[in-house]
Amino acid sequence: MSIKFDAIIVGAGPAGLTAAQRLASKGLKVLVVERGRKPGSKNVYGGRIYAHVLDKLYPEYVKEAPVERWVRKERISFLTEDSGTTIEFETNNVEHKSFTASLSDFTEWLGKKAEAAGAVIISESPVDSLVVKEGTVVGIRSGNDEVYGDVVISAEGINRLVLERSGLAPKLEPQMVGVGVKEVIKLGRKVINDRFNVDDDEGVAWAIAGFSTHYVPGGAFIYTNKDEITLGLVIYLGHGSKVDVPVYDMVEEFRLHPFINRLIKDGQLLEYSGHLTPIMGLNASPPSLYGNGYLVVGDAAGFLLHGGIIIRGVDFAIESGRVAADAIIKIHEEGGKYDGSSLSLYGNMLEESFVMKELRAFRNAHRALDEPRLYNDYAKFINAFLKRYFDVDGTPRKIFSTFKETKGNLTILDMMRDMTKVVTNL
Amino acid sequence: MSMERKIPIEERLNSNAWDVDERPHIRIKDPDQCRKCDSKPCLYLCPARCYTPGSNGTVLFSHEGCVECGTCRVVCPNDAIEWNYPRSGYGVQFRFG
Repeated sequence: MSIKFDAIIVGAGPAGLTAAQRLASKGLKVLVVERGRKPGSKNVYGGRIYAHVLDKLYPEYVKEAPVERWVRKERISFLTEDSGTTIEFETNNVEHKSFTASLSDFTEWLGKKAEAAGAVIISESPVDSLVVKEGTVVGIRSGNDEVYGDVVISAEGINRLVLERSGLAPKLEPQMVGVGVKEVIKLGRKVINDRFNVDDDEGVAWAIAGFSTHYVPGGAFIYTNKDEITLGLVIYLGHGSKVDVPVYDMVEEFRLHPFINRLIKDGQLLEYSGHLTPIMGLNASPPSLYGNGYLVVGDAAGFLLHGGIIIRGVDFAIESGRVAADAIIKIHEEGGKYDGSSLSLYGNMLEESFVMKELRAFRNAHRALDEPRLYNDYAKFINAFLKRYFDVDGTPRKIFSTFKETKGNLTILDMMRDMTKVVTNL
Repeated sequence: MSMERKIPIEERLNSNAWDVDERPHIRIKDPDQCRKCDSKPCLYLCPARCYTPGSNGTVLFSHEGCVECGTCRVVCPNDAIEWNYPRSGYGVQFRFG
């Protein structure tokens, strides 16, 4: 192939496709190279997208995008083998906040947007490496083909082999990521409405800690789509040595927990997936987010805000793709010299956007979330406490005596220390 | 398939859309490393049970069923895994993601 593109994008996910759509709409010649059959066929996530960024960039999404349900209920649970404690928040104001979606569908939709703007998407082509000449990235290599572009955007996702092979990112360390496993289970719209007590277009987002991961740091999730639910868990790989059953069995034990199993009775499994997810935010970023001839967006850049209960990847991916495109458009208009110093514009514009503002605010979140007690001692304690407290048998149950009886190995000092960590870092 | 029981991982993987390449995209570089490896995190953390215990402490690998997550290469303490994405268009095709 001898055509030269203004920009080449590695990976047709939310970040890459947003960059592609924006660049193409300004008349740049854009190529997106994707390893899957079509955009979305290798993407996996938990289940929900925060919509604020779409209101700005794709305002037509409300009518067009494959939205499943608008999240109306947020649930947080601590689960043990025989008990569960849940906080449920419900609101009437659900429009434009967050929605559940199938990421494969949603990404495919973004792909159509990019193509409609004029971007070229080549699927079934895994990029093997970047073509680097005299210290500058000048293109990509896929099999025997080399394709050249003025600038290359790595939007390859968290398993960033291309950046690693080019020496632009170190090998991922276990503590930087979690492994997610997920099941998509068909129940039918009416069954979901009844069992989760929601109307047709309203959904539930549910985070579950404790037994769901066998008390190992990580968490489980359930989201309601229109006709399916998605159910899964994430294990922080820095704590991977603590799992006592394989993750593919763990997710089944969670699904078969009596409180969960009754919600998915007579369901039908439609898909089983697994994926890595960044859990350390900017601490998992490559040493540089841009350099001579390239820049990095989305998960590959570590742009995922993991705040324990709130997990946001797609909105950060989309916004970083938008920022990358805007930086490139400006440089293109000024003559198109994409060296590290001109691309620092991307870094500066990121700082101005919510991407860096929010990720910097949560840069130490992992310090709180890495505390094993959160997933173990506290999950057990809160359930033991309430179980004892409500177990009326004619002996006095005052709060403090019940607390002392059920706190297990937790000390008041631990609790104060952990509370401080949570409050200061999250 | 009834969901009132643990569904074997092989059966769960069968619910996916696949186009499996005959040529493995992942390879254990040095089986001797696995024999010496005490923790063998791949056995517990691969979501697709691609890694199974062999005889004499070895680890057997099958790329069929691989969901291409990359966990094995991150957790392998001996860097004993050569990891590539499948060739063009092959591998798992997620319909939901």
